[in-house]
Amino acid sequence: MKRVFYLDGQTVPFTSGQNVLEAAIAAGMARQIPYFCYHPALGSLGACRQCAVKIYPHDDKHPPRVTMACLLPASDNLQLATVDKEVHTEHREIIELLMLNHPLDCPVCDEGGQCHLQDMTVQTGHAVRRYSGPKRTYHDQDLGPLVYQEMNRCITCYRCVRFYQDTAQGDDFGVFGSRDRVYFGRLEDGPLESPFSGNLVEVCPTGVFTDKVFRHDYARVWDLQQGPSVCPHCAVGCNTMPGARLGTLRRVRARHHPEINPHFLCDRGRYGFRYVTAAERPVQARLHGARSRQDVVLRQVAMRLQEGRSGFLGSPREDVQSNLALFALADCLHAPFAALSSPWMEALAQQCMALPQAPTLSDVETADHLIVMGDLGGVAPMAELAVRQALRNGAQLTVLASQPTPLAEAGDYRPTRPSALPDLITGLAEDVCLQGSRRPVILAAAETLGPAGVHALRKTLARLPANARAGVFQNSPNLFGAAYFAVDGHTARLQHALRQRQIDHLLCLAADPLGSDWGAGTWRSLVPGLQGATVLDMVDTDTVRAAEAVLPTAAFPERDGFFINYEGRIQAFAQVYRREAPVLHPQENVNSFPAAAGGQMHPLGPPTPQYWLGRLAELLDIVKPWQERLAFYQHFLCPISPHPDSPGVLLDDALRARFEIAAAPAAAPVGTEDWELDLFHWYGGETLADAAAELQSLAPARGLRVSADISAPFATLSGPCGRLRLPVIPIVGMVAGVVALDQEGFAELGLYPGEAVQIQWEVAS
Amino acid sequence: MSAYRSFVQLGLGLWTTLRQIGRGASTISYPEEALKLPPRWRGRPALTRDPDGDERCVACQLCSAVCPTRCIELQAGEREDERRYPVSFRINFSRCIYCGFCEEACPTLAIQLLDEFAFSTEHHQDFIYEKEALLIDGTGKHPHYNFYRHAGVALHDKDKGQGSNESPPVNGRSNLP
Repeated sequence: MKRVFYLDGQTVPFTSGQNVLEAAIAAGMARQIPYFCYHPALGSLGACRQCAVKIYPHDDKHPPRVTMACLLPASDNLQLATVDKEVHTEHREIIELLMLNHPLDCPVCDEGGQCHLQDMTVQTGHAVRRYSGPKRTYHDQDLGPLVYQEMNRCITCYRCVRFYQDTAQGDDFGVFGSRDRVYFGRLEDGPLESPFSGNLVEVCPTGVFTDKVFRHDYARVWDLQQGPSVCPHCAVGCNTMPGARLGTLRRVRARHHPEINPHFLCDRGRYGFRYVTAAERPVQARLHGARSRQDVVLRQVAMRLQEGRSGFLGSPREDVQSNLALFALADCLHAPFAALSSPWMEALAQQCMALPQAPTLSDVETADHLIVMGDLGGVAPMAELAVRQALRNGAQLTVLASQPTPLAEAGDYRPTRPSALPDLITGLAEDVCLQGSRRPVILAAAETLGPAGVHALRKTLARLPANARAGVFQNSPNLFGAAYFAVDGHTARLQHALRQRQIDHLLCLAADPLGSDWGAGTWRSLVPGLQGATVLDMVDTDTVRAAEAVLPTAAFPERDGFFINYEGRIQAFAQVYRREAPVLHPQENVNSFPAAAGGQMHPLGPPTPQYWLGRLAELLDIVKPWQERLAFYQHFLCPISPHPDSPGVLLDDALRARFEIAAAPAAAPVGTEDWELDLFHWYGGETLADAAAELQSLAPARGLRVSADISAPFATLSGPCGRLRLPVIPIVGMVAGVVALDQEGFAELGLYPGEAVQIQWEVAS
Repeated sequence: MSAYRSFVQLGLGLWTTLRQIGRGASTISYPEEALKLPPRWRGRPALTRDPDGDERCVACQLCSAVCPTRCIELQAGEREDERRYPVSFRINFSRCIYCGFCEEACPTLAIQLLDEFAFSTEHHQDFIYEKEALLIDGTGKHPHYNFYRHAGVALHDKDKGQGSNESPPVNGRSNLP
């Protein structure tokens, strides 16, 4: 039976556990009850006293009374009213009280137009200020490059503290003072340390916390072109809502996805979008480093391809269709193709693909026993947020890592060498604790586990009860999409062909084989055989700078496509805007203003990779076979194309099952005396997000992270592909015998996490 | 009966005409003679300055939002002291209908309608007025108002608590009752 209560005579359906306000909002009746401190993710507090309703008891003994809707559990046949004199007085006077000290600076406030306080004030009808006394003021703090504070606008709803301390479990932001001087901020000025600090902007119902990046290039929210998109900065695939104006991207906000990110977004997802507007972004076709006309560059590339000595390299950073289009073109030309830049990465992708269905982040939140391996928060911050929600719900957390990560501090930290992880994972199958729990979940950073670790994880899962689930995370958005092509050792074949001088030209799609991609060291050693490379990319990488021809591609909010996230969910993103040159300096643009209708005011932005590859197919006279192959692969891989507004569809199990036959990868043996490598990953670090200046200003210093008993100032590492001299950063609590390095370092050395490395320590003079 | 009434009406009409003979002409020979316009005449909008001589516009975009013909386009920017100003501000006067909504919406009294209403050019594109053409040197109809003296934000010459009707900043760390 449908359970209902009555609000102003209208029936409101509810489910058990809901409060009256929650049910009223869900039923679309939020206009009758104004509120501030309630937030669907943060729950009820009853601090603002705004959401008053009148309750009529069913007996004759009690008179009707005014109560707070957010604290009133919904129950059957409850009789409530808001069209009532007392309720109106309460609504009106509370909002007047909250507005007493409000600075009324809406014209210069970034929240204007999307302000909850503005909406509620208008809704309640408070229009005339009666109090003429002096207003309370505060000094503001500098909270770093991402969040801007203006404390005068505060209405003390406590949403920020509840988010920052309770949900995100950050400890450098809080509430101070007493009386009417309550202050929300840090103890001292300085950047917020939490990887989720940007959510303060969305959580705050007024303009106390606003987006500092958006502030410098501001547009009102009603002027923004917005559309459904998917975050391209890690494998979680959070749903986002980018906003653009005048052909430039201005901000990114979270978009509701019930199973991945219902409300929040990490700072990499929120502020990493600045790669789109970076000055270094390639936006014009280049030949030999100089800007050139599109058709000139295309003809040159087509000539190269016609020679038949080309290899094709895709990328997990690009979407499904672009990789498919590249694969189809390689197929038509019978050229070697690889989607991943190293055999190690290929094996890892295969093993990830073979894992059984991963839990969604909402499943992680309801887990009761969690095992986290590696620096999960550094690779996929939103997965860390889900783990923290499980911790709040009383879950037990074990962290197996070589570094004391923020998550390790919140749980049971077991210092572990990366090479010991596969054996430890095998041992988990006999773990009584894990077998006895109701919903055990194992989460890991894919690269820390390595192919051998993920393989061991799959074997362990098969021996654990069916309720045990596991997910591995990587920081590229489309590892699963690229993994389709990772079946037959393609990368090794491509590298072999280059080494044997069978090919001398490489067509790279968003791959950075000469820069920071995994296995870049090997590629660099093959450069002498390379006569030239063509790169299709949207950020400035080492490969783009070294390439013979550069074909710039549209950024993700500038086109349609699909990503496949860590759980094998195919999610579509839509084109949000068309890139144009910014109109910031009208004097420069005034001459190009169209004299008649139909004129093009600004040069349009870069086209999609499919467009470039289609043009190349045209020049090579293979349009028809290319299109046929493309259609065939697309039909095979994603027969149903999900709509950008839909929650996405999961990959077919049959498609994933074929990866289970992949050979068990062997991990390189590491002696106990050897120095062992582990991956250090900063939460804002990712190839695209690396071009976001504001976010990167928070990046930690580059260096070699070792346990605190090493006192050498510098160390030189040597690997099979090169040497690297780095400053040493001692970390308290790190496992002895392990050094943590960033991905660029691995690329330079030609090594992988869990492998042994030669280190020479420089003695302090 | 009806013929009599018609004659009376005719006579009255003639009397109305004759009454005006002594008065001068109420039309003027525009454009040779200038029009005397009432102060609230709605001509073309301009951007005014505050009494301190700084531009009043804070680029809040309310004028462009309220404009029924969408002829206003602006981009906000920030000065070093975080004071907002329009980096570009353009009005397309070939679309403007002089409704005055922008003036009504402007919270800082920056955009004000002047008495200029007849202006012509040879090309449509010359009707697109940029900020340099729109910004005038005076305060317009409101000589004393300065938005930033009332709004609670800090500027280079005004700290928190120094605005009108503001008490000095409180110590947010104090636990005293």
